[in-house]
Amino acid sequence: MADCRTTAEQAEAGRHRCAVAIGAPAVLWLTVFFLIPLGMAAVASLLTAGGYGGIEPPVTAANYLRIAGQGTFGFAPVYPLILGRSLLLGLVTTVLCLAAGLPLAFWIARLPGMFKTIGLTLVVIPFWTNLLIRTYAWQILLSPEGWVTGVARWIGLVDPGAALYPGMFAVSLCMLCDFLPFMVLPLYVSVEKLDASLVEAAADLGANRWNVFRHAIVPQIRSGLAAGVTLVFLPATGQFVIPDLLGGGKTALLGNLIQQQFGPSMDWPFGSAIAMVTLAVVLLGLWVASLMGGKQGGAELL
Amino acid sequence: MKTRSGTLHGVSVALLGFLYLPIVVVIVYSFNATRHGVAWSGFTLEWYRALLGNDLVLAAVRNTLWLAGASTLISTVLGTLLGCGLDRFRPAGRRWCGRLLQLPMVMPDIVMAVALVILFSLVRRWTGWFQLGMGTMVLAHVTLEIPFVAIVVRSRLAGFDSSLAEAAQDLGASRFQVFWWITFPLILPGILVGALLAFTLSLDDFVLSFFTTGPGASTLPIFIYSSVKRGITPEVNALSAIVIAFSIVAIVILTLLQRRWLR
Amino acid sequence: MRQAIGIWTLLLWSLCGTGRGEGRLNLFIWSEYIDPEVVAEFERQEDCRVVIDLYEDEAAMVAKLRSGGGGMYDVVVPPDHTVPGLRATGLIAPLRLENIPNLKNLRPKFRNPPFDPGNGYSVAYQWGTVGIYVRTSVVKAGASSWGVLFDPGLQPSKFALIDNPRDLIGAALNYRGHGLNSVDLGQLKEARDLIVAAKERCVGFDGSVGGKNKVLSRVADAAIVYSGEAARGMAEDPDTAFFIPKEGSQIWLDNLAVLAGAPHRDLAERFINFLLDPEIGARISNFTQCASPNLASTPFLKPDDLKNPVIYPPVEVMDRLEFLKDPGPRRKLYDELWTQIKTR
Repeated sequence: MADCRTTAEQAEAGRHRCAVAIGAPAVLWLTVFFLIPLGMAAVASLLTAGGYGGIEPPVTAANYLRIAGQGTFGFAPVYPLILGRSLLLGLVTTVLCLAAGLPLAFWIARLPGMFKTIGLTLVVIPFWTNLLIRTYAWQILLSPEGWVTGVARWIGLVDPGAALYPGMFAVSLCMLCDFLPFMVLPLYVSVEKLDASLVEAAADLGANRWNVFRHAIVPQIRSGLAAGVTLVFLPATGQFVIPDLLGGGKTALLGNLIQQQFGPSMDWPFGSAIAMVTLAVVLLGLWVASLMGGKQGGAELL
Repeated sequence: MKTRSGTLHGVSVALLGFLYLPIVVVIVYSFNATRHGVAWSGFTLEWYRALLGNDLVLAAVRNTLWLAGASTLISTVLGTLLGCGLDRFRPAGRRWCGRLLQLPMVMPDIVMAVALVILFSLVRRWTGWFQLGMGTMVLAHVTLEIPFVAIVVRSRLAGFDSSLAEAAQDLGASRFQVFWWITFPLILPGILVGALLAFTLSLDDFVLSFFTTGPGASTLPIFIYSSVKRGITPEVNALSAIVIAFSIVAIVILTLLQRRWLR
Repeated sequence: MRQAIGIWTLLLWSLCGTGRGEGRLNLFIWSEYIDPEVVAEFERQEDCRVVIDLYEDEAAMVAKLRSGGGGMYDVVVPPDHTVPGLRATGLIAPLRLENIPNLKNLRPKFRNPPFDPGNGYSVAYQWGTVGIYVRTSVVKAGASSWGVLFDPGLQPSKFALIDNPRDLIGAALNYRGHGLNSVDLGQLKEARDLIVAAKERCVGFDGSVGGKNKVLSRVADAAIVYSGEAARGMAEDPDTAFFIPKEGSQIWLDNLAVLAGAPHRDLAERFINFLLDPEIGARISNFTQCASPNLASTPFLKPDDLKNPVIYPPVEVMDRLEFLKDPGPRRKLYDELWTQIKTR
C-alpha cells in the first residue's frame, strides 16, 4: 500500500517536472522579452534624459514629479489632465460598448440555429479586420464631404463645410466601433449560458424589468461583463492610433504621450514613467475586474 | 413582448450596420477616381493598378507575411507547449503563469513596445545584437502571441479527461508516445485555432511593428499609417479593400473549420 | 526532431541575416524627396538595391536613429540644425571627401557651412524655405502674415499646423517678433500659448507633404509647408499659392550624411557623389521643386523653376529668413515645450 502511494507520488512528481520542462521555454521567453523589459522601463523611469536623448545616471523622482505637473515651465497640470482624459475616454468607451453590446449579445444568443453562427461571424469579421484600416475609414466618413457628415448636415447638426473630425466626438465614435466586438463576444458567451427559468421566475414574482435585469440577469453574466469591461477599458485607455488619426492632436491620451517621449521629444525616462503609470492603471483594472467577475477575469474570452 | 423583440431586432441590425460602415466606405472609395479628397468623381480601377506597380507595397506585403509566418510558427510551438504544461504546474506556479499570460493580453501594446525598445537598445549598446529590423519585429510579435496560443490550447485541453493518457502510460507508453499519439491529435484543432489567432494578431499589429521596425522592414500597417499621415489616400483605400477581402475569406474558412472540429 | 532543429536553425539564421546583404544601400529620407528614376539609375549603375525608408519630420528621424543606433541605415538626410547633435552623439561618420570629388560642384556658400565646418560630416542636398500654402479663393489676397494661422480674425475656418517642433515653434516665435532660435522661457511660453490656442481651432497636425495634400483635397485652406511642396502643389492646382510671412521665417538646408555604423560605407559615399553630379542634381531639384545648392546643375535646371520666386525667393525676402540652430543643452526646453503643445 505504502509502496503504491510512493509510485503514484513519483509519477505525479515526474509529470510535474515534465510539465515544467515543456512550459519552460515559453515562460523564459516571456520573462526575457516581457518582464525584464518592463523592469528596465521601471528603472529607466527613475533616471534622467541625456542632452540628446539617451538615459543617464542621476537617480531622480523628477519624472514622476513632472507627471504630477511640476516642470521646467512651472506648474502646469497637463499630465494629470491627460491621465484623467484617458480614464474618462476609457470609461465613456466602456459604457457605450456596454450599452450597445448587451442588446447585440442578447439578440445573437436568441437567434435560431444557423442564424446564430452567421450573427456571431458578422461580429467577428470586424474584430479580425485591421484596426488601423477601420480607424482610417472614419476619417473618410467624418470628413467635410463624408457620408456621416452628410447625414448630420441634412439633419442640421453641423454647419455646411464643417467636418466632424478631428476631435473628441470622432475619437469616441471610432473607439465604440473598434472595441464593440471585444464587448459583444465575452458577453455572448455568458448570455448563451443564461438560465432563462430564473429570469421567468423573477418576472412571475412581479419584479419590474430593471429588477429582473439587476437581480436575475446581471449575476449570471458577471464573468462575461468583467471580461468585456477589461478587454475594452484597458486597451482603450492606452490607445495611440485612434487619437492620433482622429484627434488632430487635440485628444492626446497616455499612449500618445508615451509615443511622444519615445519619438520626437526623445525623453525615454519620462516616457518610461508614463508607461509605468499606465501599467499601474492596468494592474488596478485587472484587480477590480477579478473582484467583479470571480476568478476568470479577462482571460475568459478566448 | 412582440414590439420589444422588434425593437431589439432593429437596434441590433443597426449596430451591425454601424460596425460595417467603415469597411463598406473603404471598399466603395477604393473605386473613386478622385485623387485628393472624398468627393465622388466616377468609377476607376486605377488605384488597384497603381498598387500592383508599387514596389514599396509589394515589399510590405512580403514583409508582413514573412513576419506573420515566422512569429506564428515560433509562438505556436512555445505557446502549445506551455498550454499543455500549465495545468500540471504546482498551484502557485499556475497562478503566477496565469497572470503572466493575462497581462500582455490586456496591456496597451505601446507599453510593451517601448519596454522592448529600451531592452533592444541597451543590449545593442553592449553586444551589437538586436539591430532593428525583421528580427526584432519577430521577437516582439512572438511575445504578443504566446499568451493567446497558450490560453486557446489550454482551454481545449481542459475539455478532456486525462484517463486515456494515463491508461496509455500504464500500458507502458513513453511520455513522448502518449503526447504524440493521444494528446496531440486531441488538441490539434486548438493548436490550429491558436495559430490562426496568432497569425491574425501579427497581421493586425501596428504599434509593436512601428517601434521595432528597421531599414526596409516596413509592413502593410506601417505603410498604410504613413500614407494616411501623408494624405495619400486612394492607394490606401485599394490596399485596405484587398486586406479586408482577405480577412473576410480567412474568417469564413476559420468559422467553417471550427464548426467541424470543435463539435 | 531533426527537422525541428533544422527549422529552428534556419529561422535563427534568417533572423540574423536580415538587413545586411551586400550590394544594398539603406536610405532614410524625407517622403517625396528623391526622384525614383534617379534611384533606379544608381541601382543600374552600381548593380545594387536601394532600400528606402521615409520620415515626415527630422525629430522623428533623429528619434528613430537614437533607438535603432548608427548601424541602421547607410545614408540619411538631416537638416542643418540637427547635424551637430547627430555628430555629438556619434551617429554620423566623418566623410572621406576624397571619395566625393563632386563636392566641388556645390555653390561656395553651401560649402563649409557653420554647422559643419569643412564638410566633415555632411554635404548639401537641397535647400528651401518655410511658409504658408493657401487656397487663394478662400484666403483673402494680400494676406502676408503668420496671423493667417495664429490670429482668429485672419484665419480661414480650416487650417492645418505643421507636425514639426522647431518649424512650428519657430513660426510662432516669428509671429511675435522673436528670433527663431530663442531659448528665453518667457518667449517660448508665449509661443506655446499661441500654438495651443491655434490647435483648438485647427484641423490637425501634418507633415509638409500631408499639409500640402490637405490643402489640395480642401480638408484645409491653409497649411505650413516647405517651398518644394508648395511649388509642386501649385503646379497641380492653380487655385493655390505660397507666401513667406512678413514677420520673417526659416530657411533650411538639408544634407546628405553617412551613419557611423553604416553597413555599406563605400557604396554610401559613391551614392552621395552620384547625387552631386551636375545632371543628376538638376533632375532631383526638378523633381522635388526645392532649390538646388549645386552650381554646376544650373544649366540643367528647368528655366521656369529658376525664375520661380517660390523656389528661389527674391533678395528682399531672403533678408527676412533665418537658419535654425542647434540649441545644445537647451534643446530639452524645446522637447518639453513640444510635449506640452501636443498633449494639452
